[in-house]
Amino acid sequence: MTNEIWTEKYRPKKFEEVVGQEEVIKRVKSLVNSLNIPHLLFAGPAGTGKSTVALIVVKELFKESWRENYLELNASDERGIDVIRQKVKDFARTRALGAVPFKVIFLDEADALTREAQQALRRTMENFTNTCRFILSCNYSSKIIDPIQSRCVVFRFQLLEKKSIKKRIDLICASESLTITPEAFDALYEYSEGDCRRIINLLQATASISPNITIDLINTIVSQAKPTDVRIVLDYCLAGDFENARKKLLDIMLKDSVSGTDIIKAIQKEIWNLKIDEELKVKLTEKTGEIEFRLVEGSDEFIQLEALLAGFVLAGKKGKV
Amino acid sequence: MINQINIPWSEKYRPTKYSFLKGQELAIEKIRNFLKNFPKKKAIILYGPTGVGKTSLAYVVAAETDSEILELNASDFRDKQKISSVIGPASIQNSLFGKYKIILVDEVDGISSSEKGGLSELLALIEKTSFPIIITANDIWDKKFSLLREKSELVQLKNLDYKNIFELLNEICKKENIVVPKEVLLSISIKARGDARAAINDLQSLSKLDEGILAKELDERNKEQSIFYALHAIFKFAKIDDRILRVYDEVNMTTDEIFLWIEENIPLEYKGEELAKAFDALSRADVFRGRVHRQQHWRFLVYQNFFIGPAIAASKKYNRTGMTNYRKPLRILKIWLQNQRNKKKLSISEKYAKFCHISKKQAMKDFLLIRLILKNKKIRKQLKLTQEEEEYLDKTLDS
Repeated sequence: MTNEIWTEKYRPKKFEEVVGQEEVIKRVKSLVNSLNIPHLLFAGPAGTGKSTVALIVVKELFKESWRENYLELNASDERGIDVIRQKVKDFARTRALGAVPFKVIFLDEADALTREAQQALRRTMENFTNTCRFILSCNYSSKIIDPIQSRCVVFRFQLLEKKSIKKRIDLICASESLTITPEAFDALYEYSEGDCRRIINLLQATASISPNITIDLINTIVSQAKPTDVRIVLDYCLAGDFENARKKLLDIMLKDSVSGTDIIKAIQKEIWNLKIDEELKVKLTEKTGEIEFRLVEGSDEFIQLEALLAGFVLAGKKGKV
Repeated sequence: MINQINIPWSEKYRPTKYSFLKGQELAIEKIRNFLKNFPKKKAIILYGPTGVGKTSLAYVVAAETDSEILELNASDFRDKQKISSVIGPASIQNSLFGKYKIILVDEVDGISSSEKGGLSELLALIEKTSFPIIITANDIWDKKFSLLREKSELVQLKNLDYKNIFELLNEICKKENIVVPKEVLLSISIKARGDARAAINDLQSLSKLDEGILAKELDERNKEQSIFYALHAIFKFAKIDDRILRVYDEVNMTTDEIFLWIEENIPLEYKGEELAKAFDALSRADVFRGRVHRQQHWRFLVYQNFFIGPAIAASKKYNRTGMTNYRKPLRILKIWLQNQRNKKKLSISEKYAKFCHISKKQAMKDFLLIRLILKNKKIRKQLKLTQEEEEYLDKTLDS
């Protein structure tokens, strides 16, 4: 059965099909050709091909029997390092059969693990080194502790260039009999911020309405796919209504599953659209930066965001005088 | 005969004399004057929050002046005939038995201005009547009532003080011959937020509990009581003294619970600059809490406890007086409720994530976009979505 989800249907299956990342591909390919790989660490933004390359690596190594020799785990979904350790143990207990003497474990979003969990992971990697290779992926390599980094070969995936993404989109359009205007492609690229998975998802959602992709169509889809605007929250703040602001904020976060980090990013962008004087905008941006910092250090995102809202309420009052 | 036990205490102990009405001396004075000067103004409006004694006051007036009450509610005004047949003659002529009458229009808020009759019917009644009309309302400041306000005397009934409610409950306990610890009565009085009826109902339901449940209930109330005192100390006094420094010693709650209580109630006491300062302190406390959790650096507890207590007290410029009815934090409950509602979303995301090499969390985050792709029936089949999941999807796509 063919996969109907385009991000999967058009996921590159060979090194040659991967767009961009030429440096990474060249080096990974030579490692794979020798039939022996060290532990790998893939670092880079979302939708640049980390999982794709990991999958190609195992397919090239194990050919038809890749499924038996490959375990995919996602650090942000597994409940704690103990669960991960147990799964690794079960999987790595038996030796791989065939030409390649090890199995491969792909641990996605490894930067979701705390430092302590990463220490435990390091031990696990050492213990199973004879039977297993790890491929870790993360957005920022700085969030991975040094002892792990030093045990891995690190590959940095770059944000995809517009022309690389264009190549992929043209291929999909040809294969699915779609037409797309240049402005529509620009809009797609703009909204997806270089994230190839997101752009393909947007394309498929748009194509479900019509095979002729226009900029209007894309705008319609994007507006349906966007969570409720934080602007409403900020407007409540500037009107001095803290209670309603925080109520609305909780609403948005819960209903659309938006994280505190994403909320604060949206707020930071929105500040410059507010009708307040420039000096105040600078102050509010500073406050937002401070709170984003505390968000990382603290334990309750919502309390941090409330502190930010209270700052906005105060600013709104002063702005009026 | 009606079984006395089953009468709600709030009815059973409705006041019958002016002196039984707690905390409304000012309103009583005004209503007396109104009756004395009748028919200078022919109607009086008693307005205020629920459970402060508006209807009770009307009945007390009737009892004290030995009058008969003719009660009407908003729905009666929809029927023009009914008004004129029942009230019409009665309001123009004296009762056959010569008894004085008072017309009570209860809860006028519900009356409509657009429907036939309704408000205009009431205004006409005020013109014609030869008996005083008492009108009760929660909110009388709606535009549709402007004419009515002009024609009537206005009396505001204030939220009852917790001390008045406490006194009231105490008397009821004596009459019912039950023993309830003083702290519990106090906690009920405070929790009622000025609503005497709510407090009495609360007391009655509590009195029916057996000892085991009562103990548990009391424990829960004690817990709330202890945090209430702590919040009171923090939010009312600006000076940081020894008491504020050790304000949470007596509170038998976890720190995480205390965080939530503080968070919920800051806006009740602080506005503007004080609000921003207090939340900044809370935010700093949370940062220290995060460091304690992550690094097991227990020394940081000192700072956490300072910012969650004294620093929040110090955010204010002047002392506060009076009692605030602090609210129980609801955020955790809301999160839980939303998670229940999100269950389908989660199971769909889980299935999608499995196929697409991404995390469940990522799929949840992108759900608004993914759901558009899942319009495709073939993809739904591929993911083996259940009937309920498909229905959930269709619902979100409709809205």
